[in-house]
Amino acid sequence: MTGPLLLFVVAGLGLIGWLTARTRALAQSAAAATRPAALPAQNAAFVALWTVVPALLFALVWMAVSPALVTASALADPAALSLPTSPYERETILNEARALAAGSAYGAFFDQSTRLAPAFAEAGERYRWIGTALALLLAFAGGAWAYSRVSPTLRARDKVERGVMLLLLAASLIAILTTLGIVLSLVVESARFFRLVPPVDFLFGTNWSPQIISARDPGATLGAVPLFWGTFFIGAVIAMIVAIPFGLMSAIYLTQYASPGFRRWMKPALEMLAGVPTVVYGYFAALTVGPAIRQIAVALGMPYASSESALSAGLVMGVMIIPFVSSMADDSIAAVPTAMRDGSLAMGATTNETIRRVLLPAALPGVVAGVLLAVSRAIGETMIVVMAASGAATITLNPLESATTVTKQIVDLLTGEAEFDSPKTLAAFALGLTLFAITLLLNIVALSVVRRYREAYE
Amino acid sequence: MSSAPLIAGVPARGAEPADRAPTDWRTQPMQRRIRRRYAAERRFRIAGLVAVVLSGAFLAFLLATMLSSGLRGFQRTEVTLSIDFAEISLPVRPAQLAGPGADLALAGAGLQNAVSGAADTAFGEGGADYIAPSAWLAVRDAIKADPSILRTRVAIPVPASTGIDLAARGEGKPADEAVVARLEGTRLISTGFAADFFTGADATDPGAVGIWGALKGSLMTLAVTLALAFPVGVLSAVYLEEYAPRNRWTDGIEVSINNLAAVPSIIFGLLGLAVFLGTFGLPRSAPIVGGMTLALMIMPVIVIASRNAIRAVPPSIRDAALGIGASRIQVVFHHVLPIALPGILTGTIIGMARALGETAPLLMIGMRAFIAAPPGGFTDPATVLPVQIFLWSDEVGRGFVEKTSAAILVLLAVLLAMNALAIILRNRYETHR
Repeated sequence: MTGPLLLFVVAGLGLIGWLTARTRALAQSAAAATRPAALPAQNAAFVALWTVVPALLFALVWMAVSPALVTASALADPAALSLPTSPYERETILNEARALAAGSAYGAFFDQSTRLAPAFAEAGERYRWIGTALALLLAFAGGAWAYSRVSPTLRARDKVERGVMLLLLAASLIAILTTLGIVLSLVVESARFFRLVPPVDFLFGTNWSPQIISARDPGATLGAVPLFWGTFFIGAVIAMIVAIPFGLMSAIYLTQYASPGFRRWMKPALEMLAGVPTVVYGYFAALTVGPAIRQIAVALGMPYASSESALSAGLVMGVMIIPFVSSMADDSIAAVPTAMRDGSLAMGATTNETIRRVLLPAALPGVVAGVLLAVSRAIGETMIVVMAASGAATITLNPLESATTVTKQIVDLLTGEAEFDSPKTLAAFALGLTLFAITLLLNIVALSVVRRYREAYE
Repeated sequence: MSSAPLIAGVPARGAEPADRAPTDWRTQPMQRRIRRRYAAERRFRIAGLVAVVLSGAFLAFLLATMLSSGLRGFQRTEVTLSIDFAEISLPVRPAQLAGPGADLALAGAGLQNAVSGAADTAFGEGGADYIAPSAWLAVRDAIKADPSILRTRVAIPVPASTGIDLAARGEGKPADEAVVARLEGTRLISTGFAADFFTGADATDPGAVGIWGALKGSLMTLAVTLALAFPVGVLSAVYLEEYAPRNRWTDGIEVSINNLAAVPSIIFGLLGLAVFLGTFGLPRSAPIVGGMTLALMIMPVIVIASRNAIRAVPPSIRDAALGIGASRIQVVFHHVLPIALPGILTGTIIGMARALGETAPLLMIGMRAFIAAPPGGFTDPATVLPVQIFLWSDEVGRGFVEKTSAAILVLLAVLLAMNALAIILRNRYETHR
């Protein structure tokens, strides 16, 4: 029986359990002299939970362990004796046999996999039936046990609610599990990378050309400094030169000067900038902005200017970031007590002086935090640089030259032909770990800036 | 400290009020000063206006660029090709055309060559270059629809080649323009709405590509994302907002969620690659893996939106329910959640819109293969709209520029619809309270 079908059958059993338990509880409460301890519906939910939850939990566990059981039982087949001992080939043949058995492949490269496929199919079928039978048995047993306990004295509501509480807790633990998963997967793969390449070479080396990795000294061409510089240059310098003035001035104009009608139309328009998918920005940068900048550069006397310049990626990224800066600045300006603004205006200061001398200094922590978050967003941004920046890792101060970023290199490293253990693919995880650490740091600093200075004016 | 007055006419700082002469605002220096301050005010105000207008103009320019080249992507040029099947006499038997092997039989019978030959006969020397490489597929479908045409001479509209297509819209090479002018004289060419674009999948020929394969992949991926992220997000929001005790664990959960919301999306792709593909061995490039990866990514968005919605429910409702004997679970599930639902749904739609536009994590889990058929199931190889845009943008063929922009328009239209839904929900919710 397949997964979805099993799900339906278990759900159906749960429904049957719910209905029968409700009937029984109704009959009991009609016959009982005193008020029962729980409503019929609560008794019914108690039985339904006991029917469904153990069976589903078992199915989940079974899904995780049964592939290993299937492989073990298929390897006991005589056809498995001819398997090569080299782990790589062995794994390839096993994978092929699995695909053949599942019907997702029609021809095989290795003869052995064709011979092994029936064993896999047979074992898979057997374990599927065993799993289904056990799951259904559990559903029946759980339901029957719970049904037998339905009585006017059963505190079904408390029990059901404890179950629901556990479910809620489990749901909120997924966030922690995700964080752990990210940290663990990045750290484990990076540790494997740093076993091949010394961390000093990676963090301080200035030569990045992963196309040529020498087996003897892989660290020589895996120095990530050009990537860090490119990321900083595009995301934290060029993009911010666009985003900070535009975002800040937009927020000031929309909150302090604009008429309500203008504000009502322009604010959503600016927010739309944040809603446009980054792949669209990337396409725009590569198709329109990049060539335009190249033409300007050529006109300025740089005949070899690249159309994949740092400037085009940075400019478009800056535009994308404008709404982030603007909404953060908007919030923190709105949080400044009105008394301060009114006081300044009453003393005869112009609006401009009030904003620059009173509102902005008071709102500064929020604005700084917003800028830090915007930087973290910009350096983690992928698609714009993948499509508009070049792959050449150079350290340059000239925005018209090409520069590359950490995110672009991660994509380039992982989308070529991939063996999972080469220094090339593992380097992507090391870059990912660096990126994760830096963005995390930026977020923590931003939050602490806000927390530390927030109360100053309250 | 009694220094000289800083500005003429203004008494020194610290002077007693009695010593102060009233400021004479009509003096020259004061008037100049006021003019300067007002000029600064005007400049500042104009700078703000320029910032807003330029940002808006950029958005308008971006949309206009996409529209101007994208709308043409929804059109295609067809040339009417007359084929004399009686003369060619394809070696296929009628019985072969009935079954599922019809495609194979027709391909094996050399239909492709027959069609290019027919084009050469119909349009003169080099005529095969006027029709798209995929034109024979249109002929094949016509034969399958009505096998009796194999005995007669028929005229079938087939897609034109990219060069002719561009020339028909006035931007091709002069040689192609001449061909178009000639064909137009005989009324053999027409440009119209490309319905195929909404039913087909990826192809190597820009004239034959369609968006449905990617759109279906996107819908399936989003279905998985919604099924996972919505229950988990809402339940953890309920736990954190209503039940969680203030302790280390709760703080850990909160910090995790806030940090996850700020983690770059590509990191989620690395997580999906290492855990879902590496450890669990799930198939590459499948909607189920993409959906799981995106679910982890947008779950924090849903949690944060749901918490805000739950927090906005007036405490009096909880107190009233508790007062008449509801349990804490009943309070939340019978009273708080229904009131908070519009807010939760708004947040969910916004999160889903973000998932729909996301590209980078899906590239990491291998959703960048060339996939020429819409996915049939959740474990089939698939691609999604933004990835399809990325893939087409890398193609060198000229026709792909328009198709990419057209795909972007489809993506933006879907996003706009989702956001409009969110706004409608929010407005209804606000008028109810």
